[in-house]
Amino acid sequence: MNLTTFYLAVAGLILAPLLGGLVAGVDRVVTARLQSRMGPPLMQPFYDVGKLWSKVIPPASNWQGLFVRWALVASLASDVLLAAGADVLMCFFVQAASASFVALGAFCGSSPYSKLGAQRELFQLLAYEPVFLVAILCMAKVSGAFDAYSFMNASAQPLLFKMPLIVPGLLFVVLVKLRKSPFDISASHHMHQEVVRGVYTDYAGRDFALLEIAHWADVVVVLWICSFLWATSVVSMVATAAVFLFAALVIDNVSARLTWRHMLKVVAPISLVLATANLLWLYME
Amino acid sequence: MSFLKTSQIKSPWLMHFDCGSCNGCDIETLACLTPVYDVERFGIINVGNPRHADVLVVTGTVNPRNAQILKNIYSQMPDPKLVIAVGACGCSGGVFRDAPNVLGGVDKVIPVDVYVPGCPAKPEAIMDAVVTGLGKLKGILEAS
Repeated sequence: MNLTTFYLAVAGLILAPLLGGLVAGVDRVVTARLQSRMGPPLMQPFYDVGKLWSKVIPPASNWQGLFVRWALVASLASDVLLAAGADVLMCFFVQAASASFVALGAFCGSSPYSKLGAQRELFQLLAYEPVFLVAILCMAKVSGAFDAYSFMNASAQPLLFKMPLIVPGLLFVVLVKLRKSPFDISASHHMHQEVVRGVYTDYAGRDFALLEIAHWADVVVVLWICSFLWATSVVSMVATAAVFLFAALVIDNVSARLTWRHMLKVVAPISLVLATANLLWLYME
Repeated sequence: MSFLKTSQIKSPWLMHFDCGSCNGCDIETLACLTPVYDVERFGIINVGNPRHADVLVVTGTVNPRNAQILKNIYSQMPDPKLVIAVGACGCSGGVFRDAPNVLGGVDKVIPVDVYVPGCPAKPEAIMDAVVTGLGKLKGILEAS
């Protein structure tokens, strides 16, 4: 590892959570505008985390603190891996480990809502992880390697033209990772949920603040991988990520009653079939 | 003030508990979340979990059965916390104050920071109460 890679990794470690917080702020403002509301200030997610950090409350279980910290480490590690140009497949597995730690921590709690939320979180993992994996395999097939820098320097032509069928799948992943849809899983700030805050129900105070930071880091990883689709320049990557974010917000607002059963039985298989078809097409080309 | 103290003023997460209200004040409380009033512009979110809440909004009269639940919810909220009694019933027991099963207002069971009169209380008055409560919290934080 040379010094530049080290600096990039440190930049990823520091900037990714900050960017994630900003994305959360944009999300809340845009969602409010879509609902004809004014919405909170752009910096609201940072105030929320600051507030949660200043609240001292005993954890629902002693194991939760450990799982939260592991989730945060895994989420930040996935950002660092991308920033340092490491293996995107490794980044994917580390990010999946983070999501599993969150669910494990929720299982340790005493609230039935927390446990129900954790069970549905596992269903959610089952639904989106295969799609995400196939999407990354498609990108690797075209760019010829699995490292992030190869994805970004694949060719003059954007990757999107060779993998249009993975777009619905990636959109599905963004939607799930933003924790907004389906409403009976979501742990978002919005009120369209039935299990209180789902997997987040038993987390409180500082643990919850750390979990929010881990969530921001996760969102950045997913949007970053989506931006590989049009990685001709930094501006085009940011624009691609913004398009995915905005599309996810619109879909969330027009399908507020989407259930986890619909996600598991309809959305996941269709997006997986489309992504796999794209992968087969790339192999046969 | 430090960032952490400012955050506590700018991010009040609100939990609503209906002690024994006729639903009039509850509807007005929920109306605060609609696009017309949009309390989220103050950073306010309606949460369903006392462990996440900073402000407890209580509507309706207190009776011996729900007093225990009210105490439970209050004790699960992390400090510093605010309690807002909404409506005539929440403030004093209202027209039901002499009923045999009514203990009185919310302050008979837990300490109340702000009282919102009205039958039902207006959404503007409820929002004003939250802002007043936050002013009180700011004073406490500045003194600490």
